[in-house]
Amino acid sequence: MKRLSTRLSALAAALLLAGCASVSPDGLRSDVAQQLQGRLPDEAALPATDAQAQQLAQTQINAWLQQPVDADTAVRIALLNNPGLQVQLAQLGVADAQRVQAITLPNPSLSLGWFRNGHEREVERKLSFGLVDLLTLPWRSRWQGWQMEQATLEAAQQTLLLAADTRRAWLNAVAAEQALAANTRMHDAAALGGELARRMAVVGNFSKLEQARELAQQQQAAAQLARASLAAEQAREQLAQRMGLWGQQLTFTLPQALPPLPKAASDLRSGDDAEATALRERLDLGALRRNLEVSTDRQGWAALGAVFGDIGLTYSRNTSTERDSGHQERTRGWELDVPLPLFDWGSAASSMARHQVQANAAQLRESAIRARSEARSSWRAYRTAWDLAHQQQTEVLPLAQLVQEETIYRYNGMFISVWQLLAQARSTTQAVLTATEAQRDFWLAETDLQLALSGTSPPPAGASARAARNPAAPAAPQNEPQGH
Amino acid sequence: MQRRQFFSGAASAVAAAAVSPVAMAALPEPVIQTSADTAAPLAPPNGRPYQPVVTLNGWTLPWRMNAGVKEFHLVAEAVVREVAPGFFVNMWGYNGQSPGPTIEVVEGDRVRIFVTNRLPEATTVHWHGQRLPNGMDGVGGLNQPHIPPGKTFVYEFEARRPGTFMYHPHSDEMVQMAMGMMGLWITHPKGRHPQIAEVARDYAFLLSAYAVEPGAMTPRVAEMTDFNIWTFNSRAFPAITPLVAGLGERVRIRVGNLTMTNHPIHIHGHEFEVTGTDGGPVPRSARWPEVTTDVAVGQMRQIELIADEPGDWAFHCHKSHHTMGAMGHDVPTMIGVDHKGLVGKIQKIVPDYMLMGERGMGDMGAMQMPLPDNTFPMMTGKGPFGNIEMGGMFTTFKVRKGLAAQDYRDPGWYAQPPGTAANEWQGAPLDAQAPRQTLPGTAPGAPSVHKPATGSGHANH
Ligand SMILES: [Cu+2]
Repeated sequence: MKRLSTRLSALAAALLLAGCASVSPDGLRSDVAQQLQGRLPDEAALPATDAQAQQLAQTQINAWLQQPVDADTAVRIALLNNPGLQVQLAQLGVADAQRVQAITLPNPSLSLGWFRNGHEREVERKLSFGLVDLLTLPWRSRWQGWQMEQATLEAAQQTLLLAADTRRAWLNAVAAEQALAANTRMHDAAALGGELARRMAVVGNFSKLEQARELAQQQQAAAQLARASLAAEQAREQLAQRMGLWGQQLTFTLPQALPPLPKAASDLRSGDDAEATALRERLDLGALRRNLEVSTDRQGWAALGAVFGDIGLTYSRNTSTERDSGHQERTRGWELDVPLPLFDWGSAASSMARHQVQANAAQLRESAIRARSEARSSWRAYRTAWDLAHQQQTEVLPLAQLVQEETIYRYNGMFISVWQLLAQARSTTQAVLTATEAQRDFWLAETDLQLALSGTSPPPAGASARAARNPAAPAAPQNEPQGH
Repeated sequence: MQRRQFFSGAASAVAAAAVSPVAMAALPEPVIQTSADTAAPLAPPNGRPYQPVVTLNGWTLPWRMNAGVKEFHLVAEAVVREVAPGFFVNMWGYNGQSPGPTIEVVEGDRVRIFVTNRLPEATTVHWHGQRLPNGMDGVGGLNQPHIPPGKTFVYEFEARRPGTFMYHPHSDEMVQMAMGMMGLWITHPKGRHPQIAEVARDYAFLLSAYAVEPGAMTPRVAEMTDFNIWTFNSRAFPAITPLVAGLGERVRIRVGNLTMTNHPIHIHGHEFEVTGTDGGPVPRSARWPEVTTDVAVGQMRQIELIADEPGDWAFHCHKSHHTMGAMGHDVPTMIGVDHKGLVGKIQKIVPDYMLMGERGMGDMGAMQMPLPDNTFPMMTGKGPFGNIEMGGMFTTFKVRKGLAAQDYRDPGWYAQPPGTAANEWQGAPLDAQAPRQTLPGTAPGAPSVHKPATGSGHANH
């Protein structure tokens, strides 16, 4: 008995070591952070699990919110504060615990029997193990490790998507505030025209028709201003939602302008290495590569598991006692419980595993092709967005300014009226608005490019703009990793 | 003050054009004018004598005598005319200027005119008002082939009738005249003429109008009515030379109209008679005194007066917007509109905004605000008492005592004898502000009239 128990405990210790079955103390967050290295703004951190660190983070967030929130800070806040991300990270911790649970050796079962007949009393004690669990432990342990790596990669991708979403929401919010300022200016100009027209009509210089035309301009500008104001509020809400803010924290301010465009084309990211970078850096490809490795490895034990899934090893120690004499007889022995592979020789299971490997390999190839394509097209979109924004800034706006100047010269010479001057001021402001939108679109394209090169698939073209208009639209999870 | 320098003779003001003497061996060398100033009258060096005219801001084309024939050479070409100081217009003209040089001949002269076309399209010259052989009348297609670019045609006829005439193209006429192609033709009487008086000074000019976008340089040739540059000889006030006269002199002024509207030409301080048209001298019995004569489209008017009132007298077209420079033709009237509280707000949106027109347009004359490049201001011209607030078909008729016969120089501003100028009333001011009859925007005596409200309850009471 003593010898046996020593042997058993030695075996158990070896198996526990083989399984490395311990729960990660931070729920794998440091692993996620490891994956995100260099892909997030400096000092960006994932939310901590302990209460004291969380308190510290809130203090930090409140300090950040005292200043106009720039894009990087918005991302930092969102990472620390977005409950959706916290849900995902918590689930990662849950999955980790499940992993540990899965590769911890199943508790042996002890069955006790107590029998009696006319002359005997029998006590039966059985300690049994599922043997296959033991045999496959190294495989399962490896597989669970990979599963966790995948889940970590997935969480990292989700984090990057949240960061990109937050960045987009920030760009949309700042641009919308700029648009609101421009619309306010346009409305001011139209309102002045309307007021002047009213005064013209009072002294008899304008007919009702002429006055009505100017008032119509004012009305149109007022409606446009209301829409711009709503759009600005909604864009801001989007951002606040991403950053996980509510209550007092909603009074945060934003910078008055978008970041300036890169001055020259040579300051832009080159497109030459875009595909290679995407293949090397993208987390979704990493996850799929891992997935393929896992399924290849899993192929090895799939059949064995299917065939011998129920092998049981039982140690039994029976004691029978002669009731009359009190003489006891002990039987000790091992029992092996082996299913007969008469029907299922594991061929279905191994075929399934083989096909799974093929499917995963094909999936990796498909994703690699998509990643290459996304790298190319995101870069092209980024480059074109810069060309367009640069054109707006260096050609269109100066031209609008020139038109504005020439218009005032025409007003000076009494060639045109003050209403035409105000109308020109409105259309100059419209040009500023268009340039701002082009500048925003460049930074949105830049965000998509970063994601396509280092993280995962960016949302389809135009999704950012749609999201800005429709705050209810959720950020669709991209490219759900397979295999678990 | 505008420089108005007279040239001692036409020869010094002109330059031989860069035309190969070989290529034009048989032609008189064309004479090109580079200045838009008024040239001194060209005393006839040969041929029959006559009293030459002074072409306002123009010149007379020299000729050569060839076996008793007066030979002239007109070159139709693109020119840049200085219409006002700093305001240049791309035009088509003759021999360096628009209008072209004045051709002066004497009744009975045999005249041969070489016309070289250096325009990008065909042209002709019509000798407006002349009696001449049909084939010399210059209507392209009707009387002669159009003169292609690069070609030289020759016109030859006898100047049969004394009078004031003009020449202009009759080939793509609308475009070519809208571009400034025109010139004066004066046929002086041979000796004394019973209906034509001898005069001390004889001025001549053509009326022309252009449509030039503010900031542009080339007239819009498709414009029919909405012209904005109104000129005497393609010059606009204050760039038009004043007409000067010695006290008591008889002065003749010849005006031709090649615009698309009529111009009531008006002189101050004197009355005149129309002594001739392009049909010839008006019989004395048919003349009557005027201070304004309407010069209809395509007409010439020759007026005469005795300059017997010393001073600087306005002389202008009486259509008031023809004495204005370029301006917008659909700018609403801003007079009397309260701008309180608005100017600052407008300046926040348009920083360079200045309030204009609230009191009328006179401010324009005083304000020096940037205009589009190469734009002729609406009203300008400084006088001894301030801004003259005119532009376009306006100049002055300056009568001075003791002016030498050949002295056409601007004598400067007239020094009015003391006490003869309108001045501020020095007595007691009006004791109270005169009440307005009505408030602005209110019809007199009808402040409470309302439209009947149709279908309202009132109708049923
Ligand atoms: Cu007129």
